[in-house]
Amino acid sequence: MTLDTIALILLGGVVLGALYALMATGLALVWTTLGIFNFAHGTFIALGAYIAWQIASTDAFGAGFVVGSLVSVIGMFLIGTAVYYLLIKPFERSPDIVVKSVITTLAGATILENLINIAWGPRNKQLGAVLTGDIQIIGLVISRNEAAAVAVSLLILAALGIFLQRAPLGRAMRAVAQNREAAQLMGIDVVRLYAVAFGLSAALAAIAGILIGSIRFMNPLMGSDPLMKALIVVIFGGIARFTGPIYAAFIVGLLEAFMTYAVGLYWSPTVLFVIMIVVLVAKPEGLFGKHRKSV
Amino acid sequence: MTQPLLLDVRGLDGGYEPLQIFRKIDLQLAQGGAVGLFGPNGHGKTTFLRTLSGIIDPWDGNIFFEGVQLNRPGPRGSRRWRNFNYDAVTRRRMDAKAVARAGLIHVPQGNLLFPDMTVAETLSIAPYASSGRASASERLDYVFHLFPRVKERRTSKIRFLSGGERQMVAIGVGLMAAPKLLILDEPTLGLSPKLRGELSEAILTIRQSGVPLIVVDQDIAFLESLIDVLYLFDHGRISRRIEKADMPTHEEIMKLMFGEDHQ
Repeated sequence: MTLDTIALILLGGVVLGALYALMATGLALVWTTLGIFNFAHGTFIALGAYIAWQIASTDAFGAGFVVGSLVSVIGMFLIGTAVYYLLIKPFERSPDIVVKSVITTLAGATILENLINIAWGPRNKQLGAVLTGDIQIIGLVISRNEAAAVAVSLLILAALGIFLQRAPLGRAMRAVAQNREAAQLMGIDVVRLYAVAFGLSAALAAIAGILIGSIRFMNPLMGSDPLMKALIVVIFGGIARFTGPIYAAFIVGLLEAFMTYAVGLYWSPTVLFVIMIVVLVAKPEGLFGKHRKSV
Repeated sequence: MTQPLLLDVRGLDGGYEPLQIFRKIDLQLAQGGAVGLFGPNGHGKTTFLRTLSGIIDPWDGNIFFEGVQLNRPGPRGSRRWRNFNYDAVTRRRMDAKAVARAGLIHVPQGNLLFPDMTVAETLSIAPYASSGRASASERLDYVFHLFPRVKERRTSKIRFLSGGERQMVAIGVGLMAAPKLLILDEPTLGLSPKLRGELSEAILTIRQSGVPLIVVDQDIAFLESLIDVLYLFDHGRISRRIEKADMPTHEEIMKLMFGEDHQ
């Protein structure tokens, strides 16, 4: 293993990690505020990418990448809130909402996936690189496009972190996550806040989808593998802190990159799962977890 | 009628389906007044207050706050509809958010607040309910003046606070919301006598500043210093309404509630 290979693997791992961090944070946002797991998150990723493609690609409307991304992010925010009202709100106060929402979000994922299939077909598409050429960072060559993807992910995560810490709406979101009833008594509109959290999570999924579509390619099932990884990240990192899944995402990304090099693409998920189980047995709250859930 | 009552509860029924917890509650509170609720544990006081603030739906009866009806009028739907998913099929009959924003602020019993948020962050959320009735910084100064301890601990997370400090923050949160009527559900429950005294004094100060109150407590002497009217709560009903003038002693209350001497 030469130094160059290690550098390449590291870079690949960082890119993967940034994408996983975006997806995992979206998942964790819903998990911590609503207390449910959204199995449609992977399909949100695909749908976001396809909406952006439809608006941006020269094969379709050809409005350009920026317009396409904006429409996709805003559109996915609205679709996310709609999914909340249709699939989750009806079970708002039922004690087994976790079980019911597993089924309803799985159903939603399947329906959306088939709609994508009907609308855009199963063949691979590419959103196309936004930036071309390479740049050098401390002697490492990385494509501008991938560097931009990492930068965008980190910026968005930082913005989200500041929003949750400082903005009144973000604070209200954390409050609802920690004590729904007390939040209600303070005049917070819990249902609307849940809808906003779900919409934000879907918008994050759309951004992840757009970045994947731009540095790799897209198909209707593109979200299922990242969803699995994001699930690992969320469980691996714990959700006690906003930053838990982010660190874990980079660890999982780097691990995956090294595994792919060491044991090949075929075996790397197996090894990842083994590591995850070992971590969970040793520390059930996750690597960075504490005993209680909060954003 | 010159001025509408601050709070007018008429024939309120409620509970947790299928169990009715309280029935036919009538409770009136004049502008600027304060009432106390007194009764044994498990007789529905807290459930009644939770209904009043819209956490659970009333079954029947009406709640008027400053002459405005807070609940959807009429009894709830027929039994057939109640068998279906309440949240999908039936419209909520009361809205906790609207109640809080109208100025009826409920500080619940044994409030756990938000364990992983700091005191300052918790206090900064409360103005959601005040909806522009008061400036947040003025209210904050008032809360810090009333509870210097809260000011000292403002950067600590709620879960590191003691029970007494937590109760102070809970009341502080209620005050941040600029209440037109403050409901305190057993504010001194489970506190040491020293803290209880401190907290009682603060509540008395709040009362003297003119905030109308509904207070639940087991300490008749404390209630007497605070309120104009005492309602005795017994088996989910209000069994007696007592004016301040003929407020009974603890022994008399015991006799009223249990019908024998408890010396």
